[in-house]
Amino acid sequence: MSSQDEEPRALSLLFKTFFSKHWPVWVGGIMLGILNILLFAVKSPWGASGGINNWGENLYDKLGIFGYEGITPVSAHYYGLLCLILVIGAFAGALLSKEFAIRIPPKGELIKGFIGGAVMALGAAIGQGCTIGSFFSGVPALSGGAIIFTIGLFVGVIVALKYLLWEMENRPGFSSGKSYTFLAVTKKSGNWQVWLGWILSGIIFVIAWFVAGVNGVLAWFIISGLLMGLICQRSRFCIVKAFRDPFMTGEADGSVGVMVGLLVTLVGFTAIKYFGIGVGDSPIRAIEMTWVYPHFWLRALIGGLIFGLGMTVAGGCAVGTLWRVGEGQVKLWMAAIGFLLLSPISRKFIAAPLVDSLPHSMKFKSYLPDYIGYAGAFLLVCLIILIWYVFVKWNERTGKFSAF
Amino acid sequence: MSAKITETIDCKGLSCPMPMMKLAKAMKGLNSNDVLEMLGTDPGTKSDLPRWCEKGGHTVLEATELDGGVFRFVIQKK
Repeated sequence: MSSQDEEPRALSLLFKTFFSKHWPVWVGGIMLGILNILLFAVKSPWGASGGINNWGENLYDKLGIFGYEGITPVSAHYYGLLCLILVIGAFAGALLSKEFAIRIPPKGELIKGFIGGAVMALGAAIGQGCTIGSFFSGVPALSGGAIIFTIGLFVGVIVALKYLLWEMENRPGFSSGKSYTFLAVTKKSGNWQVWLGWILSGIIFVIAWFVAGVNGVLAWFIISGLLMGLICQRSRFCIVKAFRDPFMTGEADGSVGVMVGLLVTLVGFTAIKYFGIGVGDSPIRAIEMTWVYPHFWLRALIGGLIFGLGMTVAGGCAVGTLWRVGEGQVKLWMAAIGFLLLSPISRKFIAAPLVDSLPHSMKFKSYLPDYIGYAGAFLLVCLIILIWYVFVKWNERTGKFSAF
Repeated sequence: MSAKITETIDCKGLSCPMPMMKLAKAMKGLNSNDVLEMLGTDPGTKSDLPRWCEKGGHTVLEATELDGGVFRFVIQKK
């Protein structure tokens, strides 16, 4: 066989490695962790709810309602744009692997999607963050509030899972009925999806190249968004799954993937904060307090609990919703719409007065190294992850806390 | 020769976690060696289902891709 025949085969094998099967979740966790560290090194860590909130504010600005004026357009808002490009990255990932299809579920699921999204928006507004900002980035940022937010998430997920199990048992019709699928292809046909995936990815790189001439950081956010969407879709990186599955089917793979991502991010974030990497002329304290929000402890607890309820009902957290939007899951389109419509309103009319009524002792910035030092904070987060790991692996083996 | 199907669950159009929840519930109600057919459209099921079956000791007898983006799994309970 000539080397000319070998070459396309080698490229085809390389393509199949990435787009034939799903990646292990831990691979996604490592890659997302690295990108998150780079985002922090370049500007600030990964976040999702702020970006979706920007979409909502822009909508209300255009409609001229609720008093939103002069909102930063999505194209110039780092996180609004990151979220948008993440959807496109997931769309590209789904196309390249021929997994894109518009999937319309039964009506009850659409309603659950919308309500779940709206509830997530409320949780994010009260808790000041979502599963990314106040968990996947917040915990490695050594924020005490993020740990409390995580406890809230756990409780919310368990309660909402009980509801889903009840619904399946007592109202099975709610998730049954007519469903539709459009534009689906099979592995043997539908190469248009692969071509469209390449074209779309190419367009985003060209856009990033042009933006780089004006704003290099924004260009980096565009590239990161594309990669993050693609990675999430291929590894099915899902924080709801990480919290929920041990209590549902007992599966631990999703949890372990998220833990790996947390550990990678923890190492990078700790180094950036400890050494003040990229601090420039600003005081080191500013970088230390990045992604440490004034929500310790009650604000984070209530917000996390509400967010946990919402994401479990919707079947996707802020980022899990976004990449599934790109994959064509219409239930999550409803969740994104619920989230973006309710987020600005929740922030302005519900969270603001509620938070004002709380005493400072229930909504302050808690930076763990201030109390136990960097080594102590690092080890504490490692210990929490280790306990979580031992629990999910033990539960996977014994099924003690699993519903099935 | 294909196995005699005891029960079929239709999860078309559903996204995570509903397909796996419905599958786990249906499997719970079956007897050993019974065969369950599952139809779904969520790409996540393609990796979740075989992994869950492997851990539970169930056998995936068939995993096929039908037209219209539908996956068909035939599983034999442990």
